Amino acid sequence: MKVTLIDSPVANVANIARALRASGAELDVTADAATIADASKIVLPGVGSFVAAMRWLLDTRIDIALRDAVTRGASLLGVCVGHQLLFDASDEMGTTRGLGLIEGNIRKFDGPLPVPQIGWNRVTVTPSPLFEGIDSGTSFYFVHSYAASNSANEIARADYGGAFTAAVQRERVFGVQFHPEKSSTAGLRVLRNFVAWK
Amino acid sequence: MEVIPSLDLLDGAVVRLTRGDFSTATVYGDPESVLDSLNVPDDSRLHVVDLEASRSGKPLETSVVKRLAARDLRVQVGGGIRNVGDARRWLDCGAQKVVIGTVAADSPDVLQAIVDDAGAERVVAAVDVLDGEVRVAGWSRASRASLSEVLTSIASLGIEEVLITDISRDGVLRGPSFGMYRSLTGSNLIASGGVSTVSDVVSLARMPNVTACVIGKALLEGRIDLADARARAAMPNAIPERIIPCLDVRDGRVVKGVNFENIRDAGDPVECARRYEAEGADELVILDISATDANREIAIDTVRRVAESIFIPLTVGGGVRSVEDFRALLRAGADRVAINTAAIRDPSLIARCANEFGVQAVVLSCDARGREVMVRSGKESTAIDAVEWCRRAEPLGAGEILLTSVDRDGTNSGFDIELLRAVSSAVKIGVIASGGAGKLEHFRDAIESGGARAVLAASLFHDRVLTVGDVKQYLEREGIPTR
Repeated sequence: MKVTLIDSPVANVANIARALRASGAELDVTADAATIADASKIVLPGVGSFVAAMRWLLDTRIDIALRDAVTRGASLLGVCVGHQLLFDASDEMGTTRGLGLIEGNIRKFDGPLPVPQIGWNRVTVTPSPLFEGIDSGTSFYFVHSYAASNSANEIARADYGGAFTAAVQRERVFGVQFHPEKSSTAGLRVLRNFVAWK
Repeated sequence: MEVIPSLDLLDGAVVRLTRGDFSTATVYGDPESVLDSLNVPDDSRLHVVDLEASRSGKPLETSVVKRLAARDLRVQVGGGIRNVGDARRWLDCGAQKVVIGTVAADSPDVLQAIVDDAGAERVVAAVDVLDGEVRVAGWSRASRASLSEVLTSIASLGIEEVLITDISRDGVLRGPSFGMYRSLTGSNLIASGGVSTVSDVVSLARMPNVTACVIGKALLEGRIDLADARARAAMPNAIPERIIPCLDVRDGRVVKGVNFENIRDAGDPVECARRYEAEGADELVILDISATDANREIAIDTVRRVAESIFIPLTVGGGVRSVEDFRALLRAGADRVAINTAAIRDPSLIARCANEFGVQAVVLSCDARGREVMVRSGKESTAIDAVEWCRRAEPLGAGEILLTSVDRDGTNSGFDIELLRAVSSAVKIGVIASGGAGKLEHFRDAIESGGARAVLAASLFHDRVLTVGDVKQYLEREGIPTR
């Protein structure tokens, strides 16, 4: 199955590329807006800063390409900061607008636990094509300081000194706050589910 | 698990004694202002000890107990309650429960009379233990009955809650006696003595027979925030603890030494890494122990080959001297990079790497002999205190600390729990315990008593003495959550 992986300079593209290939994807790694607008299955990776990642999407006009592709019926999976970019906005550095494909805002953790969250956390999943074959309570690997909570499109949640949204789905748009490429067998299964989804 | 703040009262004020010695009293002020400063909610249970009553039998703090009960606090009072009249007096002041010590251990008939008068649900039996023996009368002598006899007799009266204090731990912040609570068969135990970190609270909350803990000194000294402790105690299993195999790599091979010396071959890095992921490792650490310039390229190539063969996080350390070294390892596929000697020489390296790559990528690797920081693979002393150094590294941008005891490394004799506790309670970021893993209990103790958020081992896994799966199954059985 062909998957278009967005070649973002603010992401560890090599790791996610390797995991997608191991999950059955035939990869096109690109930062070309026209190619992305025409793609049918897209992965948007990201690490670090929401602001820097969004800036890059705007500069390259990939923001428009992604919205066009989704409007045409493409499937999209955002990973980590790529997941956060799907939302309306983030509170990182004031308020920064996101892609607006998923309703809601991204906020900084303010519970008793150290931030960033670095490590494995158990995820409660609701039935979704993305979590096919994955038991609720399975752990995934997270590295983040910001998260959505109580998203209307939530398909998985986890708790880090308070509940947060671990994954979302709105029609063909998916996002996972965790790193599937670092989550061993469970993470590869999520990617395989996305790659194989019709 | 319920977290119960505890106040010792003397002359109307909140005080702390160390090991019951009146000459060492520290005064904290009137009870209301102490409760306000600790943010104790008004619907809270509160443990109150009338020290004068426990010493002389004269209850002096009745007016304080009346005032506290009027605030809707659910007060339980202890101290020198020796008969039905003593217990009745506190209950008439508004106390919800009375805490019965010496009498509970030594005079079952008096305890019976108090239960008959007050009702078993309003009685908490308090048992003080020293080296497995029940102590009574202000800890001055041993009880006539053994601990298990005392517990059986208490249970036979229908008393549900038993407060157990390990005297040797009381007020000295060394941590609770987890082993003692584990060995006790009773349920509804209230743990008391030595609770000094939020991690202690979490570890107690994981014990099925401990349903509450009492915290005094650590709250008063600000070591534990009550709201944090309660939030964590409500969900002690929310976050899995991690097991991390470590590959010490030299010239493209995994090697292992004892106390950082006597190096021997332990296999191919890619084969080891794949095996550990399959066994359930949560993360891998590669330490490049050659780390000379000539061997740098070989090490980076090893990192690349390992990174390409696993789908779990990879942390790499050894010989990282600059932001550029750091970047090269991230490019080779590391998720996080550990800095050691170079950070001691120039602490700003931590901040520069954190600014460039984010705090999540920065691990401070700290090797300690005793509590002294050692550098150059544990060979060179620095006269720097490990706890101070780790405390300083956190605000600079360290995301986690890999703490290795040089004394224990490769000895299989257990982690340095004292060092771990000292560091993990001094920082908010996670501590990875390293050096000394030899058997299953060591992993448990590093997390439970040491406050480690992850445990690293090398030779034990290389030599297949234990698999990662063995360790995780064991921890789950001991009530410690894993992935």
